[in-house]
Parts: sequence; structure tokens; C-alpha cells
Amino acid sequence: MRTSDAVIAVQHLRKSFGSVEAVKDVSFEVGPGQVLGLLGPNGAGKTTTINMVSTLLKIDGGEATVGGFDVRTQPEVVRQLIGVAGQSAAVDEKLTARENLELFGRLYKIPRGKRSARIEELIKQLDLGAFADRPASTYSGGERRRLDVVAALVADPPAVFLDEPTTGLDPRSRSELWGTVRSLASNGVAIVLSTQYLEEADRLADEILVIDRGEIVAQGTPETLKQDLERDVLEIQVGDRNGFERARELLGPDANPATDAETLRIDIPVHGGADRSLALLRQLQDGGVSISNFQLRQPTLDDVFLALTGPSSMEAEEITT
Amino acid sequence: MTTRNTYDGTRAVVIDPSVALRLRRAGHDTGTVLWRDMIRTTRQPEMLVFAVVMGVFFLVLFNYVFGGAIGAGTGYDYLQYLLPGVLVITALQGAQQTSMGLAADFSEGVNDRFRSLPMNQSAVIAGRTIADALRNIAGLILVAVIGMLMGFRFASFGGAVAAIALATGIGYGFSWLGAAIAAKVRQSDMVGMLSMFWLFPLMLASTAFAPVESMPGWLQPFATYQPISVASDAVRGLVNGMPVGDTITLTLAWIAVLLFVFVPMSVHLYRKVD
Ligand SMILES: Nc1ncnc2c1ncn2[C@@H]1O[C@H](COP(=O)(O)OP(=O)(O)OP(=O)(O)O)[C@@H](O)[C@H]1O
Ligand SMILES: [Mg+2]
Repeated sequence: MRTSDAVIAVQHLRKSFGSVEAVKDVSFEVGPGQVLGLLGPNGAGKTTTINMVSTLLKIDGGEATVGGFDVRTQPEVVRQLIGVAGQSAAVDEKLTARENLELFGRLYKIPRGKRSARIEELIKQLDLGAFADRPASTYSGGERRRLDVVAALVADPPAVFLDEPTTGLDPRSRSELWGTVRSLASNGVAIVLSTQYLEEADRLADEILVIDRGEIVAQGTPETLKQDLERDVLEIQVGDRNGFERARELLGPDANPATDAETLRIDIPVHGGADRSLALLRQLQDGGVSISNFQLRQPTLDDVFLALTGPSSMEAEEITT
Repeated sequence: MTTRNTYDGTRAVVIDPSVALRLRRAGHDTGTVLWRDMIRTTRQPEMLVFAVVMGVFFLVLFNYVFGGAIGAGTGYDYLQYLLPGVLVITALQGAQQTSMGLAADFSEGVNDRFRSLPMNQSAVIAGRTIADALRNIAGLILVAVIGMLMGFRFASFGGAVAAIALATGIGYGFSWLGAAIAAKVRQSDMVGMLSMFWLFPLMLASTAFAPVESMPGWLQPFATYQPISVASDAVRGLVNGMPVGDTITLTLAWIAVLLFVFVPMSVHLYRKVD
């Protein structure tokens, strides 16, 4: 352990499923009150990482500790310290929200008196009141998701794992959940949160880990990553094939690997916004390239990954999505 | 030894629980899962219907359709012969529901949460088998009442109670077999199919519906001593007030064997992670 106060510490974590190396080498530390954002596309290894650290999957290599206890050798101790909301809801469909929380609260061995107070508090906080007494099988996707997150918090654990907690939530529920995550953090809870949304990682995380195909491709605070991640993209539609080749020549390494010869489209990451875009367009025009269309747009997660991982990743991603 | 350590100065965790504490917690967890499964049982009354429908179907079919032909060789009024067998079949059907229920836990995802909780993992199965045994008792009483409406008579109240207890017991043993299958394959449809492999041979090649003398010679040794047969024979003796011979002992021995093999096996399979 680098710092002795890390609640969750992971070193060189590895996991393979047959020939698929789902997680190759992932290390991180989360201190009390810190939120670590795991950001990555489908199949990046976010769920696999979370499941290993939360005792749900066997660890193939590397080390993980929670509260200083080894996940591999002392899972029973670790389970007393964690709350998990996995990617797919893990609640009893036939039970109501209240009954589900009562069930998990009992299994966490929360004393009776404290238990019901805690459950009521959480129901209020995450606004489950409207459906708390209906069986979970009747819930909408977002309602079930919220129940699942609340279930992870019943025991007030010092380490919480949330795997894409806001996927499928409407904007209001999403911002409520963000509020919950922030208040957990301010109470000293260490949180690992996976997401596919840049904005979410930006708003919540103290540190972001961008992972792709089982590996960390970028790491840092939102501020330090922002420069790499949040640049606009100039999308240019070229009129003909000759122009396309000519444009590639002119732009050189500036052109994003996302050039598409089929559709004659070129994506260029631009730091300088409008000025830089105009300069680029002018350069192309002067070079004799006919531009049929262009737009300046916000980066998507795809752009982030292109920027961070280069062309080989683009291909891999296209295959998996 | 129980060690309580405050890893961050505020929170107590149990690091090395004593055997006594482990047992107390296993009991608490089993009770909690039982509570949960009883709620599920009351929310799914159709499960009770499924549990008895096959027994009732056999009761009616064999009694009214084949009754004369088979009954001739039993030395009993056929309904008095048939109902005890049907009770055992009903208990077996109830045991099959342990499989289905546990597989549903896997597909609904709630098992994923159980695994992340500081609980005794065996309690998930133990609680369920007990809940299923309780529902089985309700199912057995229901079948007995239907049998009585058809003209069946228990020789004594004590015999009826003992019979239902024994049928519940053999059902309980098979519940753990069902649990082992569910913990292995973890998919409802596969579980349903695999259940047929043990359920039907045991049921049909048994003395539940017809005496062993009516079967081909090569089948007779198996059909005499397999668990469903000895349980049917024992229950038959109890409800009719007839001598039971060693059939009760053999039934209890089968229950012990089933538990001895399938309790550790299902717990092991359930705990297994990728
Ligand atoms: N049980 C499994 N058996 C085989 N391969 C698996 C298994 N679980 C995950 N994988 C593979 O491991 C890789 C990482 O999967 P993982 O679920 O961790 O991705 P993820 O980052 O959570 O993606 P998503 O955003 O889609 O949830 C994927 O290629 C996936 O196909
Ligand atoms: Mg995932």
C-alpha cells in the first residue's frame, strides 16, 4: 500500500475468461471520502474489476484489499465493509423495496432498531416512497436501479462499489443519485463508480481511471484529463476521393484516425475551437480540397478513446460494439 | 476466537469468529432467508398448486382409469394403496421446486447480492429447503384431503401425522439433490429439464402406484429398494395401520444418505465462483 489510509487498494489486478483477458493490469487506490471513476466503453473490464474487488469473482493475479483486508484470503471480513450495486439489479423481485432492504439489513446484522430507521432514511433520501410497498417485479428499470443502489448502502459501509449506477435513470433521478454519491463521499465513504458518461465522471470523481480492453489508458483528476478529453471535434465531409487523399496529406498527423475513406469523412480534434477550425478549413480550401459539409461538435466517448488509444483501439471497439 | 478490530478507528468488524458465533450467525441467516422465502411462497400461491397438481392427476388417473387392473394384485382396496404413494410423489414434486426456486434466484440476480453480503452462504439453500418443506406439508395435507373426499380413510390420526412427516422427510432429502442441480447449472430451463431425469424414473419404477410383483424381473431389485419405493411402502403401512417392516428404517437411511451427499455438494457448488 502506497498510502496507509487507502480504504480500497488494488494492485496489478488480472482476470481472464478463457482466452479473453478481461482485466490485464489495473491498479488504483481510493481513500476515505474519495470517488474513483472507472470510465470505459463496453467490454473495457469495468464490471470485471468491480466484481473482483467486491469478492464476486475470483482474482487471477494481483492484489486487492479493502480496509486493509485481503479480498482473496479474507472475503468474509471484506464483505462486512462493502456495499455493492452491480450492473444488473440484484434484488428479490417478489419482495417490496422495504422487504428487500429489511432482508439485506438483517443479513448485514444491523441491529433491529437501527435497521428500520436506516431503511426509512434511505427510502426518503432516494425517493423510493412511491413504490416502496410494491413487489420489485412491478418496478420500472430506473426504479429497480435506485432500489439496487439503496440496497448497497443499507449497512452504511465504508467502501461502496457502484457499477454504472445511473444507466437508465431519467435526468432527475440521475442528479438525485449524484447528490447521494456526493453526500456519501462527504461522510468519508470510499467509492468506486463505473460509468460510460464523461460528464458523470467529471462531476463526481476525484480521480478518473480510463480503461480500455482491460488496461488503464489514462489516469488523473478530471482537471488534468480534461485537456486531453474535452476538445472539440471538427467533422469534415469531403466532396470526392482525390480531395480526401489530398486532405489527409495536408493535415498530416492532425487528422484524427477516424478518417473514413468510405464516407469521405475526416474527424479532427481541435483545441483552439472556432479559430483553429477556420484555419484548418482555410488550409484545406487553399490546398484545393472541396468541402461539401462540416461541423464543430462536442467530443463523444469515442473521440476520447480515439485520442487516448489510437487506431488499433478503434478497430477493436468497432468489433465489440 | 472472536476478534473485534476497529480497522479505521470507528468500525468494528468480526475477523475471526468463534465456532459458537459462526453457528449463531448461520442460524440467524437461515432464519432470515426462510422469512424471505415464506414471503415469496405466499406471493406465489400457484407454486402450491403446481406442487400438488401432478399428485392429484395421478390420484385421479390411476384410481378411476387403471384402478381395477392394478388394484387386483395389491391385496388392498386400490385407493388405500395408491394415496400413500401419491403423497410421496407430491413430496418429491415439492423438492423439485427447490431446484426451480434456487435457479430463479440466480436468474433474478439476487444471488449476486447474497454473495457480496457478510452472511453464511449455505443459509441461502438451507432457508429455502426449510421453506419448501413447510410448503410441502401444506401440499401433502391438501392431497390427503382430496384423497379423503374420494373415499380414502386413514386408520389413525397418529398414523396420518407420521406418514406426512415421513413424506416431508424424504422430500427434504431430495430438496438438497434439487439444490445441487440448481447450484450447478444455474438456469431455470436447464434445471426443469434435468429434474425430469431423476424425478420420472424414481417415480414410475417404484411401488408408489403398483406393487413390485407387477414389474419385469430385472427391475424388481431396484424398484424394491429405491427411496421412493421404501418411502411409499412405509407411508402405506402407517396410514393403513399395517406392519411397516424395515421400510421406515430404510426410508430414514435414504434421507440420511441424501443429506450426507447433497448438503456438502450443493453448498460447495453454490459457493463456487468463476
Ligand atoms: N463470465 C465471462 N465469461 C467470458 N467472458 C467474459 C465474462 N465476463 C466478462 N467477459 C469479457 O470480459 C471483458 C470485460 O467485460 P466487462 O463486463 O468487465 O466489461 P465492462 O467494462 O463492464 O463493459 P460494459 O460497459 O458493457 O458493462 C469483455 O470482453 C467480456 O466479453
Ligand atoms: Mg459492465
